[in-house]
Amino acid sequence: MLFSLVGLHLRLLGKLRLLTGAKEFIKDYPVAEIARRALKGRDAIYPFGTLMEYGTAVLGSTVTLPRYPRFPSLDTTIILLPPAFTPRRLDKMVDLLREPTFEDVNLECELGGFKVSMPVVAGTMGSTAIASKTSIPIAKACAKMGIIYGIGENVATVRGYSKRLTRGHPCFKERLMTYLTNIDKYGGVIIQQSVEDAYDELWNKVYSDKDVEPYLDEGRIGFEIKIGQGAKPGLGGIIKIPREQIERLKQKYLIEDTGKEKYVTRYSVPGTYTEEILRGMIRNMRTNYPRVRIWIKLGPFKDAMKVIKIAFEEGAHAVVIDGKEGGTAMAPCVAMQHLGYPTLVSLAFIRRARILGIDNKLSLLPAGRLYDGSHVVKSLALGASGIYMGRPLVISALVKGEQGVVNYLESVKVETQMLISALGKYDLHEVEPDDVASLDLNIARALEIKWAFELPQQDI
Amino acid sequence: MKSSAIFFEKSLTARHSVFIVSASLNKGLFFDGSMPLHPAVKELENMIADKERYRKFLQEWLRYSWRWAREDKYKLVFRIQASILHAIREKLDSMGFVEVLPPIIGPVTDPGIRGAKQVTFDFYGHEYKVMSSAILYKQYMAASLGKIYFVSPNVRLEPLDSIYTGRHLVEFFQVDLEIYNATYHDAMKVAEELFCYVVKYVKDVHGKELEEKLNRSLPDFKPPFPRYTYKDAHKILCTELNCKFEYGTEIPWECEKVLSIHHDTPIFVTDYPRGARGFYDREDPTRPGILLDFDMLYPEGFGEAISGAEREYEPAKVIQRMRETGEDPNKYRWYLEMLKELYPLKTAGFGIGVERFTRYICGLRAVWESRPYPKVAGIAPTP
Repeated sequence: MLFSLVGLHLRLLGKLRLLTGAKEFIKDYPVAEIARRALKGRDAIYPFGTLMEYGTAVLGSTVTLPRYPRFPSLDTTIILLPPAFTPRRLDKMVDLLREPTFEDVNLECELGGFKVSMPVVAGTMGSTAIASKTSIPIAKACAKMGIIYGIGENVATVRGYSKRLTRGHPCFKERLMTYLTNIDKYGGVIIQQSVEDAYDELWNKVYSDKDVEPYLDEGRIGFEIKIGQGAKPGLGGIIKIPREQIERLKQKYLIEDTGKEKYVTRYSVPGTYTEEILRGMIRNMRTNYPRVRIWIKLGPFKDAMKVIKIAFEEGAHAVVIDGKEGGTAMAPCVAMQHLGYPTLVSLAFIRRARILGIDNKLSLLPAGRLYDGSHVVKSLALGASGIYMGRPLVISALVKGEQGVVNYLESVKVETQMLISALGKYDLHEVEPDDVASLDLNIARALEIKWAFELPQQDI
Repeated sequence: MKSSAIFFEKSLTARHSVFIVSASLNKGLFFDGSMPLHPAVKELENMIADKERYRKFLQEWLRYSWRWAREDKYKLVFRIQASILHAIREKLDSMGFVEVLPPIIGPVTDPGIRGAKQVTFDFYGHEYKVMSSAILYKQYMAASLGKIYFVSPNVRLEPLDSIYTGRHLVEFFQVDLEIYNATYHDAMKVAEELFCYVVKYVKDVHGKELEEKLNRSLPDFKPPFPRYTYKDAHKILCTELNCKFEYGTEIPWECEKVLSIHHDTPIFVTDYPRGARGFYDREDPTRPGILLDFDMLYPEGFGEAISGAEREYEPAKVIQRMRETGEDPNKYRWYLEMLKELYPLKTAGFGIGVERFTRYICGLRAVWESRPYPKVAGIAPTP
């Protein structure tokens, strides 16, 4: 009797725990905030809502945090430092013959070998159901906004290359061509190839595809070597697939089939790299695909600096370092909690690389829970060339489709422009380490930036 | 172009030490400032200047190949092609090679084909490939018979910009040979001898017709041909011939051409850096990063003739190099098992494209003239 009661209790606790996935994500990740942006676009940068409109609201900065953070982040530790005196604003005024506004801030730049309208990248999202379902509106919105769009690994193998293999899910070429046929003068697409995609020669297929040819010629295609990702560094892609797809995929993937459930777990291998292999791979790619931009996607790995060095020496175009806050559709809990360092450390690597002389020829991007204009500007100040994101776009697409993604990106754009103009600058290239400070002394030292409380000592 | 040749002449004497075979160079180089780029190569360059028109021309050319194939010019080209194959077989047989029937399909094929796609099909539930080259299959037959060759049909779905090179067909033949217990120097010697023999044979049999109908005269070649290491070729091209490219990448076609038009014999470029080649080219254990391999380039701007190498036979090295193409070595399981069982499987060899050889000997604009049923990237339907 007692045992069965205890058993019941434990089962109940277990069942409750089953609800955690969605609940904790919504509680911890700014889902509501991003959804608001997807709905309101540019207006979302102000904290007004239905209950508190302009005229009834009185506003100010918050000093408390709703949750105690597990580790420091851009939000908790890094601040931007606006000046009173703005000589660059004066320069800009001389240019324009009027007072400049934030809309005069230029965000156009070269990013990883592509010309873009703003330094935000829609990261390579893979074959997971949610990424797959939202991929088309995201592709369209990114093309229209002139930002880089990524297609993750296993898409062609699981969803089909040019024909749909799974009901309701776009195939690889639908994603690709939706983006490419909608771009104007900005943008480019980056394509990952997992070990399993390589089996089918995905990159070769793209490189000899008649429909892609004009875009290859224009330099709009990039291939991204995936060495890892934030949520599960050192582990390959994991997704659930319907049982009926086992037959087709078992030749290429490790499939865990308990024999009971409707869905089975499909594991992709992480792929083996050494310094030599990576070097050889970049060289091979430059030989085999001379018209393609080469990107490298890293998880929060301790030897990130070596990767940056090799990428730089071998002429790759970009390295992305995904911090452990980076998103995923499926990862073991222990991996998400314990493998790797936070995004702020990714930025520390980027900052250090720039100090060591890795110049802008190699774009460096952080990823992992970056979703607003402050993240863009702080990252730029620390030496990044732009930011790389996934989840905000998926959430925006779920809220309001393509327009939701456009609205969201507009809000990030206008915030970025506002913040840069507040720094007294009018071009993203002018943002520098001096524009940020750390609230934490140790982090200030690690990033080689100012400590916010270290005030100038000179006499007045 | 003219000025670079003169400049090269001036600087050459001071720099012969950079050449491996400096003696034969002086003989091989043109010093009169005139570029020995063959008129047919120039004609192709003019044709591709207008890409749209060239494409239309090519569509017609491929679609109605029976029309030109019956012209006197092409009757001769195809007869010469038969003689080339005959001469190759005669020479190789006399050198102790055995002709072996090549595989046509297999679970894996040559992955080192510069961005071209392989043809994959369903083989009773397994993915099989049509040979892009039978390179991986040569080695154990070489171990069995000592010296072997294939006359092997290959299919490569080349990138679409390959139609402008004049050297790329989607379907072509190559004579692919392999020698057991040999070095790449041995293979280069075979290449030279074979080339000279075939040219002489064709001249003996078709010399008059060649001159009269194709306006083509071929010199008497004598081995050895000049050999440049990749490193020296890179240095000469970048500093003296003003054709810059990044060290470590394949020599761009424009630069290969510049190098080849400064010679009236074929030349070898050897010792390519790792990364630019397939996993089967052996890395020099004493010079990490340098491969024991070579290309032979035709003179007069006809471009690459031959690619060859010593083969990597250390399974661990091969696995590591396979990863450089992002693949799972499991795909090449039979090959790796074979390397382990036959360890050390030391061979060297090369492949020479039959259509390219025909193009060179007959002085044709492109390989789409040196094959009865030419197929190039992206153009269909054709016979």
